[in-house]
Amino acid sequence: MAEILKMEKIVKEFSNISALNGVDFSVSEGETVAIIGPSGSGKSTLLRSINCLTRITSGKITLNGETFVDTGADGKAKYLPEKQLSKICSETGMVFQHFNLFPHMTTLGNITYAPIKVKGIPKDEAEKRGKELLKLVGLEAKADNYPGHLSGGQKQRAAIARGLAMDPMIMLFDEPTSALDPEITGEVLNVMQQLAAEKRTMIIVTHEMGFAKEVADRVVFMDAGRIVEQGAPKEIFENPKSERLQSFLQSMLRA
Amino acid sequence: MLDVIQQSIPVLLKGTVVAIELMAVTLVFSLPLGMPFALGENSRIKPIKWFCNLYVFVFRGTPLLLQMYFVYFAFPILWNIQIPAFPAAALAFVLNYAAYFAEIYRGGINSIDRGQYEAASSLGLSKAQTMFGVILPQMMRVVLPPVGNEMIVLVKDTALVSVLSVADIMKKTREIQNREVSLAPYLVAAVIYLIITFVLTLWINHMEKNYSKYDEQES
Repeated sequence: MAEILKMEKIVKEFSNISALNGVDFSVSEGETVAIIGPSGSGKSTLLRSINCLTRITSGKITLNGETFVDTGADGKAKYLPEKQLSKICSETGMVFQHFNLFPHMTTLGNITYAPIKVKGIPKDEAEKRGKELLKLVGLEAKADNYPGHLSGGQKQRAAIARGLAMDPMIMLFDEPTSALDPEITGEVLNVMQQLAAEKRTMIIVTHEMGFAKEVADRVVFMDAGRIVEQGAPKEIFENPKSERLQSFLQSMLRA
Repeated sequence: MLDVIQQSIPVLLKGTVVAIELMAVTLVFSLPLGMPFALGENSRIKPIKWFCNLYVFVFRGTPLLLQMYFVYFAFPILWNIQIPAFPAAALAFVLNYAAYFAEIYRGGINSIDRGQYEAASSLGLSKAQTMFGVILPQMMRVVLPPVGNEMIVLVKDTALVSVLSVADIMKKTREIQNREVSLAPYLVAAVIYLIITFVLTLWINHMEKNYSKYDEQES
């Protein structure tokens, strides 16, 4: 399968700590990748560097054949100019831990705003598509409600629909169920499972080990800013090779 | 007493019209003018930021009364132009209130969660689209109570223009009071101010209620 994302030697240093220590990571079209690891391991930073929410210190990222950042002669990351960059980076859709829906727009408004403003899609067409997406995530009845009137699970499903509305090449999920009550994570995971079954390219940072095991094509385990181990879910969960992963999985089981 | 009250009312109502005109002019110009200063205070371009900070510092840091005298006398002294008291006062009010509104807006903008910017960026919205489509509409909700508060302050600040002999409520009150040696005109004036602030409060509450449909609901 075609490689849709390629990240090489990614380094990210915050003021005094380094969050990513030379990560190589790539994703093929249609693949669902789950990134697991202890907090502070750099998994969210890696995810956020794919759509430029985090600017890397050095390394090279190629999205769908277009390299938007590369290490320059001085060893620092050189990004494309702002306009091109925002266009490339918006070809990924992002779902956040805390939803980040726009509270002053209806659910449908949240979904249609970017397609209308950024892609110039006519309003009625965007709304038609928006309603289809709401149906997909089971929220067609909530089109005219404001996010403040939705439950956490509904908000996150609306956020997924909003991300999908831009027809992104990759959907990025940053701990999408971490802010939800345990009994409603299922409704969000079901939608994601459905997307994975449609062979959408997805990268999911998650603490839901059961979900990673069941839905992901590949599981990546990160620790201390590195990818320690990766492979098929069965391999990772049933036959972890590194000691670090073994102890991580044990601590997750106990939790 | 009753007859003083009776003769005060029509005179003071004329003053009320002047006071309301001043309020209207002040709000129409200072509410929008506060916005560029608020954005300027957050600007990454240093000279713009400094200018806006200095503006707010000066106009919040000196009495409105002083600013009013300054504007009124600046024209004849500096440029040898005599301007009427009302526009001079109005100009000082606009400049002064713009500084307060700028600070309120700036606080409102800064209170918007970073996640909103991140969501906008992840959807490919430009900086302008993010500001005007996502951040400012939410800021409106946040700043409504403090802006309402400033409007109430403005109602009472209009009394300051009486020192420039603008025929507002206060000026008229003093005139009657000097003539009649009675406290009645003050009572009438107080009632008029209270009615204005009461109506304004109703309107502000209505606006807040309108915006509250966006608020988080306990489910």
